[in-house]
Amino acid sequence: MASAAVDHMISLTIFMAAILIFIGLFSQTMQTGIAYELHSALSTKTSDLLDTILLNPGLPVNWSQRDDAIIGFGLQNPDFSQYKLSSLSPMRLTSFAQSPVYYPETGAYYSNNSVGVGSCLLASSAKSFNYSTVSKMLGINGTYGFQFTLSPTITVSIDKASTGAPLKLSVNAAGTGYPLANAPLSYSLILVKQDSNNYPSYSIINGATATDPAGFTQLSFPGIDGESQSYALIVYSYLSGLKGMGFYVHELPSFTKTVIPLIDSFQNRTITITHGDSVGQPPQAPSYSLLSYNASFVLLTEEYTLRPVALDESSAVGKVFYDSSRESNASSVNLPPTTDGILIVTYKGTSAGQYGLVLMPWGLSSLGLPLTFGGNPTGQEWVTTDIRQVTVGGISYQAKLELWNLQGYKGVR
Amino acid sequence: MIRTIEVLFVIIILSGAFIAVSYFTVLPPPREVSPINLRRLSFTTLQTLDSNNDLSRAAFDTNNSTAWSGLQVALSASLPPQVVYNLSVYDVNGADGQLYNYVNSISNTVSLGTTNDASTYAVASSNVTFNVTPQKIGEGGNGGTLYILNCSDANGWWITGYTAQNLAQDLYNLLSPYFIKTIMIQNTSQLYQILNGTPIQTETLRNAVIINTFGENVPIPTNYATQYSTDSAQYTYLLGQKVRTYNWTWASIVGSPLYYVSNTGYFSGDNGWGIFGTKQIGSAGINAFLQGLDNKTYANSGTGITSNVGVVTFTNQTKDFCNYYGIYPSTYQTSTRALSNSIIQSYHLTMGFNIFNPVGNYYPGAIYNHVAAGSTNITGSILALGLTRSPDVRITGLSLLSYYHPRLYASEYTTNGTSRIVILQLGLVGSG
Repeated sequence: MASAAVDHMISLTIFMAAILIFIGLFSQTMQTGIAYELHSALSTKTSDLLDTILLNPGLPVNWSQRDDAIIGFGLQNPDFSQYKLSSLSPMRLTSFAQSPVYYPETGAYYSNNSVGVGSCLLASSAKSFNYSTVSKMLGINGTYGFQFTLSPTITVSIDKASTGAPLKLSVNAAGTGYPLANAPLSYSLILVKQDSNNYPSYSIINGATATDPAGFTQLSFPGIDGESQSYALIVYSYLSGLKGMGFYVHELPSFTKTVIPLIDSFQNRTITITHGDSVGQPPQAPSYSLLSYNASFVLLTEEYTLRPVALDESSAVGKVFYDSSRESNASSVNLPPTTDGILIVTYKGTSAGQYGLVLMPWGLSSLGLPLTFGGNPTGQEWVTTDIRQVTVGGISYQAKLELWNLQGYKGVR
Repeated sequence: MIRTIEVLFVIIILSGAFIAVSYFTVLPPPREVSPINLRRLSFTTLQTLDSNNDLSRAAFDTNNSTAWSGLQVALSASLPPQVVYNLSVYDVNGADGQLYNYVNSISNTVSLGTTNDASTYAVASSNVTFNVTPQKIGEGGNGGTLYILNCSDANGWWITGYTAQNLAQDLYNLLSPYFIKTIMIQNTSQLYQILNGTPIQTETLRNAVIINTFGENVPIPTNYATQYSTDSAQYTYLLGQKVRTYNWTWASIVGSPLYYVSNTGYFSGDNGWGIFGTKQIGSAGINAFLQGLDNKTYANSGTGITSNVGVVTFTNQTKDFCNYYGIYPSTYQTSTRALSNSIIQSYHLTMGFNIFNPVGNYYPGAIYNHVAAGSTNITGSILALGLTRSPDVRITGLSLLSYYHPRLYASEYTTNGTSRIVILQLGLVGSG
């Protein structure tokens, strides 16, 4: 009788222990299955959300050319169908990659989408949309986090390959997975006219060539001193429907002053031309500097050349200064009512040989700039990614969306 | 003891069940749980490759190794490194009765792996697409040149909201298929060149059409701005003479023709309305032009010959041409600068084509031909659209097409092998 009772107690104890262990083991397996389902659902959501962003123009459809709030978010170009995006809409998005820039003169901040030396894309933060606002418009605020990236499919990189004259520049065109071999190239070399004119203008040398099997080519410009001449090179490369572009701006090493164009109105296409020392926080070291500038606007033609469009002469030229008491001035210029193009601002200092130029794209694709918008995926438990090939203002881009769940996995794990 | 043995059996059974379940519920690699949507990536890649019809051309030109090697480079360059592809082209409805016939393919892999997907994209041959070939104006005879003033050193007026360059591009797109040669006059120096009888390229100068996209402004070359600095209306007199000499058709797209002259390099002042680089000459501009056209002696006359006639409508003939050419601006327009019919008698003009129904003694928009007294030959024409700003250049295009009436030859080829489908299969390689 006693042995039966002991047997019963031992077996019951073993059974209970085994049940507890197996409940733990089975629940782990079930959690694995649920996690799989949730990750799979997140992937589907990523694809849907990316199409939502890319296949609708937003509301109002011309929100990229307005300054006010919007009701619906989308990046599609309202004049086209499918995956053709507006080049102006991305300019109204606050960059994730770079902090806004402060302009002490007005106390305003500017979203910074600039990339590379000699180019500026600073747009009024008050008229731009941040991550939180767009999340709400997409209906995922508090549910999902995302990061949206637009990257040019073709990267055209340009490097200076000579000292003195002749000026030689090496160009490399490459896609995301392969060099752009034997691809036609069109280029425009913008040369600042370093003459006695109060407001320096520029001349353009156009040309065409092709890349070698490795995607490289070298451009040579006889008679141009690459050290003392201020210039910019804009290169377009295209092959079987793919189009890419790149630019290079040569700043004179002996002259570090610059002008900075700030986008103050998308609706009126108003650009404020400021002295570079007056922008940023804390303000730059106070020393008197006067710059005389000449602003002009160019469009890209179908032949991949730049066509100037006249700006109002009274505002296209002017002077900006920044003095020892940290006082500065600025003036505005309105761009013509075109879809996209490049604002070229050439400028000179007060001493001989002080010249420079800065490029500002009107439309993200005008200089082939990338955009990173949204939250930070680093440290998130599970991030899904989806990619589409899109066209932005005629330039080939890849649109990538990274998505993660903000609500966790509700007891899973 | 027996119960303990039974429990051990239970544990063995549960262990077996757990092992079996664990075997089947292993979480797959991340790329299989949350894969890139290869189908959409494939579709958007095909769309990108065909953005300039390059893919369509290559699909129908399989012997063109340059096109196919370019396609392969573009495909490799546009896809992420971990994505492999196989692009195949099939002929649809081939002559042998097969629904799909393999034509050609390119690939960078032997196997697409376990994670792969595909999209199809239909392309049509350029030989089969329904198309319309317009007859060229001037074909078989003289002329056939269209000049569009696109001068970068002049400003426009009454083209509010546009630039002359925008309008020039729109007109180029609209009208260039109908002309043997279309030339954009890029600056006033080129305008000076043609006014002096020298072609820009190899075009025929005589019987050309010149469209002034600058609205009420007309670009003036620096030489003439200097020569006629005291009386700029003499420049429009010269224009009238040149139009007569070369039997040109001068087109004014909006407002009162030739009301201002513009040269941003010469004039420093504005036109009184904030447009710099322009100078007002007023009604003397059109009067002087007509004097020149009719070979009268020049006399500066500022007498107004236009009137505000309000809302105007297309003539029935214009409406017919809207349908013929597929150009549909609004049939109702507002005319504030309609020309008086008195010019017809005063300057030996005949009505070439009436775009709008006349209102009283005024023509809101018409093409006038100059036929000198005692002659039956046309020696110069002017299209004057006295509409209010901003201009709708479709009306300019429609007016010229209605006047010259080039025929449209519609063609359609429906034969076998006119459609092909392109299938792009994508696969993921490498780890997660």
